[in-house]
Amino acid sequence: MIYDMAIAPFVDYGFMRRALVACFALALGGGPIGTFLVLRRMSLMGDAMSHAILPGAAIGFLIAGLSLWTMSIGGLVAGLAVAFLAGLISRVTALREDASLAGFYLISLALGVLIVSTQGSNIDLLHVLFGTILSVTDDALILVASIATLSIVTLALIYRPLVIECFDPAFLRATTGGGTVWHFIFLVLVVVNLVAGFQALGTLMALGLMMLPAAAARFWAGAVWSLAALSTVLAFLSGFAGLLLSYNFNLPSGPSIILTAGLVYVASILLGTRDSVRTRYFPRAHFHD
Amino acid sequence: MKSAAPLSVRDLTVAYDRVPAVHHLTGSFAPGSLTAIVGPNGAGKSTLLKAIAGLVPLGEGRIEGANGNIAYLPQLAEIDRSFPITVIDAVSLGLWREVGLFRAITGAHVRRARAALAAVGLEGFENRQVGALSAGQLQRALFARLMLQDAGLILLDEPFAAVDERTSADLMQLVEGWHGEGRTVIAVLHDLERVRESFPDTLLMAREPVAWGATPDVLAPENLRRARYVSDAWGDAA
Amino acid sequence: MKKLALSRLTLSRLALACLALALSFALALPASAEPLKVVASFSILGDMVRNVAGSNADVTVLVGPDGDAHSFEPGPADASALADADLLVMNGLGFEPWMVRLAAASGTKAKYVTASFGINPRRLSEEEKHAHDHDDEDHDHDHKGHDEDGYPEAAHDFDPHAWQNLRNGIVYVQNIAGALAEKDPDNALVYQANAESYITELKKLDGWVRGELAKVPQEKRKVITTHDAFGYFGDAYRIEFISALGVASMAEPSAEALARLVDRIRQEKIRALFLENMSDPRMMETIARETGAEDGGTLYSDALSKPDGAAPTYVAIFRHNVPVLIAAMQKN
Repeated sequence: MIYDMAIAPFVDYGFMRRALVACFALALGGGPIGTFLVLRRMSLMGDAMSHAILPGAAIGFLIAGLSLWTMSIGGLVAGLAVAFLAGLISRVTALREDASLAGFYLISLALGVLIVSTQGSNIDLLHVLFGTILSVTDDALILVASIATLSIVTLALIYRPLVIECFDPAFLRATTGGGTVWHFIFLVLVVVNLVAGFQALGTLMALGLMMLPAAAARFWAGAVWSLAALSTVLAFLSGFAGLLLSYNFNLPSGPSIILTAGLVYVASILLGTRDSVRTRYFPRAHFHD
Repeated sequence: MKSAAPLSVRDLTVAYDRVPAVHHLTGSFAPGSLTAIVGPNGAGKSTLLKAIAGLVPLGEGRIEGANGNIAYLPQLAEIDRSFPITVIDAVSLGLWREVGLFRAITGAHVRRARAALAAVGLEGFENRQVGALSAGQLQRALFARLMLQDAGLILLDEPFAAVDERTSADLMQLVEGWHGEGRTVIAVLHDLERVRESFPDTLLMAREPVAWGATPDVLAPENLRRARYVSDAWGDAA
Repeated sequence: MKKLALSRLTLSRLALACLALALSFALALPASAEPLKVVASFSILGDMVRNVAGSNADVTVLVGPDGDAHSFEPGPADASALADADLLVMNGLGFEPWMVRLAAASGTKAKYVTASFGINPRRLSEEEKHAHDHDDEDHDHDHKGHDEDGYPEAAHDFDPHAWQNLRNGIVYVQNIAGALAEKDPDNALVYQANAESYITELKKLDGWVRGELAKVPQEKRKVITTHDAFGYFGDAYRIEFISALGVASMAEPSAEALARLVDRIRQEKIRALFLENMSDPRMMETIARETGAEDGGTLYSDALSKPDGAAPTYVAIFRHNVPVLIAAMQKN
């Protein structure tokens, strides 16, 4: 019975297997990135970036149709441009980064809609530009997997400066004179992960699997590395469970996965071992010397 | 640890939005000296430290001798207290010069970090979260980090501002220890008693230098009055 | 003197008579020296109208070649075309949900004819209805009320693609011819003649379709497609069109629906797979990869192709679709 419900679907159907692999790759890259997004208070930025990349992907579509690579590159360029401009404006003027980011992503979104409308197509372009996990192509899988690898390697390299930059940016400035470069490298990683995720899995899934598990992990883990690891695990498990829900109960796949991740998040708020509702109202016994 | 050349400031002006915070300051800090910077609020003391640390652009003038290893402790730590990092990890950041941003932290490094923690009275706090420390404990931890930086020039901005008497006393001992090791220490302070007690040299400023030299001379009543007058005048003009 | 006066009178009377004659002559001239302005809702109807009316009508098509009438959003140009029209030809059966609002907005005084009047409509299955609701989510559904086409108000219960059965197509042509003749009686004979020859062609085509399809044994007569447009074709020519609708037209399909479809394809060993130019090709690729089904090519259903394409006329649609279907089905 368990086998039928939980294992058989993946044995019997290639598309289920690929979807699971895609979840794994996305969790691997998105877990650590999501953790840092949460720690750096950049959670809403992901949402903004999903709209910012639209005109780039739309232009890519106009040039070469539903080509994964052109749309990804287009989206990447647009996303990076918005991120870069927002960062630049916030460093050069008095406007803070979140305000300038909001400004640029709205411009970007409007531009994207404009480009899409002049195309005159009847297709719901957003859904075509950004696929669903059940129809992950080989190319998309390779893309997501490569991005995951790239992210892990890059994060490992810039881990220490990134942590310092989060924790005590003044110290980093005073000792190395830098700080901005790590921030930009991180932004590039975020955009790259989002673009890859969107292409393969749609906007909802890519962002949701990045943010929800990272937010949930904070209620269980207390160090950066354990937060990242837990985020990855939770993301993958949400993907696995969500796919099974979609299979056994005829629910749309993307939303099932995200709602599972959401449930995990709510459960963590209530029952987690750190700073949760449970610890507030049912505290554990304190240490004695 | 003795820095070879004095740290000198020549006709330095640093302005924020065209209003000078430091105005035509000239003088020098002898190598290995222990100097307090005092003055009324808004006198540009923090700005001067930041300028020496290289954190703000100079308007006019020059700073010489501020090369090499400088350790700077800002007044209000821009530290994210909710960040999940342990005390030992935070303190180990002081070793960045040796470890850089990418090399591994060895057992030797860990031992030195623990020793530093012990020296500031935080033995046993290694695995505590930084967010769980009190203000005094956090300041001690930051001092431990400073120790590990092993710098020739140490800049402290109001190091005893938010901590209790006991902690201040302990930390002041550390400062004197650094002075004994031949490091140049410059500290911005409010507590004139402590300055008279422990700091051989003082710079009294109110944007412009009012007096700079041996503490008893500098903290003479007419100097203090003049400093107040200068800052009031500036207040009207600004 | 009297002779002169008389001749002047005669002259003036003659002039008057000439004037009257000229006037009546002018008035008697057929008002449609100017061609009839006809607006057809979509390209297939436009083609039919042109075949019947010839040069006597100026045909404007709202949903052009390769267009999707289900999700069409009319613009100001369409409203003004409709405003000037003498006759509006539409499909009916809920095919043009936007038509009522457009007609109201344009303030047109054109007469309208429902081409599908009199055919035997096919009821939509639950699944097809469900998918249609998804497609039409963004459009208004206020075509309730008007009942002149003789069908019950819930137009979503019926499959509108009646032209896919050539015998219905013949009814369409008859309706169109009738409407044209009524609006422009002077050319009624022309319309009648054109309609008859066109209908003869359609009858021949129908025979040809049946003959060709007879080459495929019954058990192979199964096709997977993403659009529900072939209901009438399937019923008329006895081919089973299995819809991948629940999976291909929705943005977020469920794994179960996809799995069931894959099961069905595998079970019945269907290889004939048809992409519609409107849905996500990635989903179809997934199905193809999972089941070994092959993409059979393009089928034309709701619209003509562009003039240089494979199916620029109603007749051409069948001439294109049938061989393509046969080739794909033979692989089953």
